[in-house]
Amino acid sequence: MGFSEKFVAVRKGLLEFAVLRAIAGEELYVADLLKRLAGTEFATQEGTLYPLLSRLRRESLVDYAWQESEAGPPRKYYRLTKSGQQALSELQGYWNHLTRTLDRIGN
Amino acid sequence: MRKVTLVSLGGNTYQLEDEAHEAVAAYLDRASRALAANPDRAEILADLEQAIADKCDTFLGKHKDVVCAAEALQIIREMGSVQGSGEEGAATADAGTSGADSTLGRARRRRLMRLPEEGMMGGVCSGIAAYFDIDVVWVRLAFVLLVFVTGVWLVAWLVMLIVMPAARTPEQIASARGEALSAREVMEMAKAKSADLGKAAASGLRDAKRNLRETFGSRG
Repeated sequence: MGFSEKFVAVRKGLLEFAVLRAIAGEELYVADLLKRLAGTEFATQEGTLYPLLSRLRRESLVDYAWQESEAGPPRKYYRLTKSGQQALSELQGYWNHLTRTLDRIGN
Repeated sequence: MRKVTLVSLGGNTYQLEDEAHEAVAAYLDRASRALAANPDRAEILADLEQAIADKCDTFLGKHKDVVCAAEALQIIREMGSVQGSGEEGAATADAGTSGADSTLGRARRRRLMRLPEEGMMGGVCSGIAAYFDIDVVWVRLAFVLLVFVTGVWLVAWLVMLIVMPAARTPEQIASARGEALSAREVMEMAKAKSADLGKAAASGLRDAKRNLRETFGSRG
């Protein structure tokens, strides 16, 4: 319990990382993205995800394209931009660096 | 028998029970205020509306074309509250200078409403007490004493009884108290009060009239 609470801020900060990783794999629309994150430590909701995605788009890290859907109205499929891919690899590098640092401190 | 409101969500018509409509409208209203400083506010609101529409679709079918209050509350709970510009909380330590505080303040702005369920008569004093966040006893005491000084205060009370809208739904009661209601709280209150929900459809005007009658009945 207390363990999980201590890491609330960490998970919050890493949500952006998780989202970038998820849409790096394939183009996703929000319901897909939520499903992918559900059940993980990064489970989130529309109320959080839409503002986050719109900020990532303002920062030109992601972009979306409208795609027709059989089930209903057209959906926005999000994908990484060039600078998004670059940001993701930088984030990944930094994350690896952090975990290596933690490993070293322990030994 | 429940009243139904027709709404347009993401370009399609949906029929929501009145209470469901109120809950959804209040959710979008809170979202709109939380996003006040966001340049993409209109787009995010459209996205949220579409997401609500998609969730409504899962409750609707060939033989069910109305979204009921409990379903709307579940939808709102699933959506989760919309964070404003301070969404990255941990990343920006200087939250005091960002827009987050002011939007939070606006989101919790109170409404001056009667609280009939807590009041002795029409809930006027309870509503005022909730608005100023003071004990209702002081408001009642002040009113009684002021009425003894001059009857004008009785007229003032009557005017407020008519002018102040009654807070009946959990959302309204929360906004009267200035609480930012979480969807979970809404659910709990809805469960506790599901028996009273039908009664809540009674119009405020009828309520006001009854209170007027009671007042004059007891005094004359």
